[in-house]
Amino acid sequence: MTSIERELRDRTKVSVSEIEAALNPGEAEGFYRDTRECGILALQAGAGQVLLAPPTPRPKKG
Amino acid sequence: MEQPGTTPPLTGAVRELATQVVSTLTSGGHSPVSAYPPVTTGDDELGLAAVRVLGADVLLPAVLHRTLPAPADLAVCEKAVLAYPPGPDASPTSLWSHRAMVRTLAALGAPAAGATLAGPEPDAAWLEDLPWQALTHQLALLAALAVPPTGTTSGDAAAPGALAPSAVADVAQRRTVDIARGFVRAVRRRGWLQAAAAGRWLAHLDGVPRTLGLDAGLEFVGLMGGDDPRVALHLHAARPVRAGAPAGPR
Repeated sequence: MTSIERELRDRTKVSVSEIEAALNPGEAEGFYRDTRECGILALQAGAGQVLLAPPTPRPKKG
Repeated sequence: MEQPGTTPPLTGAVRELATQVVSTLTSGGHSPVSAYPPVTTGDDELGLAAVRVLGADVLLPAVLHRTLPAPADLAVCEKAVLAYPPGPDASPTSLWSHRAMVRTLAALGAPAAGATLAGPEPDAAWLEDLPWQALTHQLALLAALAVPPTGTTSGDAAAPGALAPSAVADVAQRRTVDIARGFVRAVRRRGWLQAAAAGRWLAHLDGVPRTLGLDAGLEFVGLMGGDDPRVALHLHAARPVRAGAPAGPR
């Protein structure tokens, strides 16, 4: 086996734990306050297309 | 953002596969009697792993367009299902992803999938008590289950927006407002993949709050995150349902 073939084999080897991690990843960190997005949202809201308003919060239990 | 050359091979392979699926979804010329070109490129270890990760969405063109899948895709998906069954410590997401693949394969006529499908559905009760943020995260990972029923013919068409039956879909239908909250949160966090996947679920669900602006929200997600093929895939799955029309090139 040549070094290139070995390299290719190693690079295409996938463990079961890698697949499990890809199927069940944790939630990515959020990023907020991007002015470009806020601007587009504001424009769309102004055109009456979208408010992206979250539904009313649930009443607290108890 | 990942730099070129630093993307793990599996991540890259999944993205490449999603790109092929999106390309097929948008290519047009689908016929109920002829198979679309294969989206999979091989059955090497990395290729099979990518198919297992993208799951039932590999066969999404056949499901949405009600066409025959490419025989090569069916064969590779079957191999992936058999090569990577959920292990004893598998997460519920992995169990359900596997179930979705097997179900889709069986509905599309893959012979080996039928026997695997005979087992009981995985449990979905754990979703019921999750906070809405975690619920949205988990459902986003299971968005391949947000599809129309597979296997209906043109003479037996499903109602517009109908969801393929599953215990996960039942929970989603009971928690529509929570998923709507999660969609807004995902957009505000710039979690485009989660937002697209949550939007895909919402496209199928009844009782979505009108104030959400789902259609424009999906457009916005496409604008901001559509260069990720997995985001584009979810949006392509959601749009025809929102339009209330059969899937087709737009």
